Amino acid sequence: MINELLYLDHAAATPLDARVLKVMQPYYTDQFFNPSSPYVLALTVRHDYEAAKQTIAQTIGAKGDELVMTAGATESINLAFNSIGGHVVTANIEHHAVLAAAKRYDHTIISSDEKGIVSADAVRLAIRADTRLVSIALANNELGTIQPLRDIATVIHDEREKRRQVGDTTPIYLHSDASQGAGQLDIHVSRLGVDLLTLNAGKVYGPKQVGLLWASSHVVLNAQIVGGGQERGLRSGTENVAGVVGFAKAMELADVHRKYESERLRTLRDELQQKLTTTFEDAVVSGSQKRRLPSHLHISFPGLDAERLIFALEMRGVMVATGSACAANKGTRSHVLTAINLPPEVADGSLRLTLGHLSTEETIAKAGAIIIEEIVRERERLTK
Amino acid sequence: MTKVYVGMSGGVDSSLTAALLKEQGYDVTGVYMKNWTKDLPGMKCPWADDLADAKRVAVQLGIDFKVFDFENEYKHKVVDYMIDEYKAGRTPNPDIMCNQEVKFKIFLETALEDGADLIATGHYARAEDGVLKMATDTNKDQTYFLYRVTGAALKKTLFPLGEYTKPTVRDMAKARGLFTAGKKDSQGICFVGKVGIREFLSQYVEQVPGEIIDKKSGKTLGHHDGAIFYTLGQRHGLDLGGGLPYYVVGKDMGKNEVYVTTDLNDETLWKDTVQLKAVHWINDAPAAGVYTIRIRHRATLTNADLSFDESRAKLTIHDQQRAIASGQSVVIYRDDVCLGGGIVL
Repeated sequence: MINELLYLDHAAATPLDARVLKVMQPYYTDQFFNPSSPYVLALTVRHDYEAAKQTIAQTIGAKGDELVMTAGATESINLAFNSIGGHVVTANIEHHAVLAAAKRYDHTIISSDEKGIVSADAVRLAIRADTRLVSIALANNELGTIQPLRDIATVIHDEREKRRQVGDTTPIYLHSDASQGAGQLDIHVSRLGVDLLTLNAGKVYGPKQVGLLWASSHVVLNAQIVGGGQERGLRSGTENVAGVVGFAKAMELADVHRKYESERLRTLRDELQQKLTTTFEDAVVSGSQKRRLPSHLHISFPGLDAERLIFALEMRGVMVATGSACAANKGTRSHVLTAINLPPEVADGSLRLTLGHLSTEETIAKAGAIIIEEIVRERERLTK
Repeated sequence: MTKVYVGMSGGVDSSLTAALLKEQGYDVTGVYMKNWTKDLPGMKCPWADDLADAKRVAVQLGIDFKVFDFENEYKHKVVDYMIDEYKAGRTPNPDIMCNQEVKFKIFLETALEDGADLIATGHYARAEDGVLKMATDTNKDQTYFLYRVTGAALKKTLFPLGEYTKPTVRDMAKARGLFTAGKKDSQGICFVGKVGIREFLSQYVEQVPGEIIDKKSGKTLGHHDGAIFYTLGQRHGLDLGGGLPYYVVGKDMGKNEVYVTTDLNDETLWKDTVQLKAVHWINDAPAAGVYTIRIRHRATLTNADLSFDESRAKLTIHDQQRAIASGQSVVIYRDDVCLGGGIVL
């Protein structure tokens, strides 16, 4: 039944994979034990939990004991910022979780270019002698644009080298929220060149409220939640065993299917984009076409009210987003679209279409046809 | 085609109002009036969901939709009025003020300027050529809240729900598949929201503790957080311990004292004459004589003699009425016609 949904909002939430649910279930029932308890059944649970962390670590080229499991990506981001603090650098297209965390510290917010890309040069110019943290997402959640993390890592590396030469011991780290691209991009930490990485199970067909912060061994983290000393004392609270086991399964599946799934989504997305842009010549596709997640299509229909369109589409079973979900709720224009200088009359007619497991040749064709019909209907209403 | 602007709040009543007018062949535009709301820490703006619901229904009906921002006007004319009245020790009715100043004044004016021929709302009332009449559903009738509207405004107003009962309205909304058909009715004063009037007021007035005094014995029975939070006839919130319930029978704003009694027949609780100020007539002022009146929304209609004393109106009520507080409105009817009313001195 879920497979028949015309769901084009995978960037907001992904359905739990049946295989993930299956491995999680025992930890809610037969294997409910607290991993810290002394009896053998509990020790088994503890072992499974550690093994799951190890599995997750392997998918990003890290070690299990370098992970701090959190309740989602926002907590992970907060842990990163609140551990390192100091002067921080981030970009104006970042997720609210990053922007809000940055604003608690002395911060510099750099501008993305009009294609939704944050340049390494802009990062270089923003770094000060007291900068301790740079945080740039791997892929933007609204536009899907993929950031040049490797180049930014080089900038950080150069700065670190410069400080070392003059005997300045102020550390500088690169953090990246890779929640959005994890199912499609290489997220091997050493290849990305990051020092800290945030991931979110809820975006890769795993459970919601499960995430992690990976930090390389030279980064010192400070606990935000204290108590029984779980997660090496960095995040107390009884372990979410089922959630983490599910996260591990989701990451394993993502790892296996990444290449195939990326190609599949790219083909479907390109077809959809083609169909919409040929039908509506004034449609504006935002975000770099070269550096974009295969799942994302951000498209604007100038003069249309996207919110109306969303309600009209929903009545026909098509679920899409405009800007980010949070921005829609506040009745304000998306900060990302403002950041890339999209004119208001274009921005207000924007749809974010994000593909994923529920996207098939058939559902995309159906959804595309309905989107076209509803846009035509809205335009007719406006010209009457 | 006659152009009607419908005030859409995101509730079932105004949703059906828009649907019915469209079916009747009007050129309908939905308008959400953005009124003032208090931002409460940690809460997402509460009106966003209502606005989205209103818009959803507009899209469902295929009608135009606009947002009119009346935040400033609402704050000055309705919210400030309410706070000032409470500060003066009176019991105001902000909904009446909202209809007088916002819905049937600024909204009407703005809509007409924008090209509308008429406005419409989801009130349970009937307007016939500038005359305000009670709704067919006497249990739901909202003319009490509308008595300060002008006849001229009513001539430009449609109340399509005046002929229906609330259950019928829900059924009709359901039958049309309106998104808001099952939505709960809003409770209380919109801008006060879930926190309640007491908590709302306490953000604007200093809480000054005072004494609660037994009117008969003169003894102090306990303490309160401020006389302004109490109204005549009030039973709850006195927190005086067990025994017979106490009722507020008066207060002295100067001394910040609240007087209470256990005597249900206390003379100040029961009145048979009231003086009205700020008297408003929807059309021509009626002659002195016997009319029916209503002292609060949904109160039983009762007979009273209306007489005039210069600018003030006086009512001599045939059956004594309980707890008529200063600041509240008394509305005057002749049969099913709402003539107007005034505010208790």
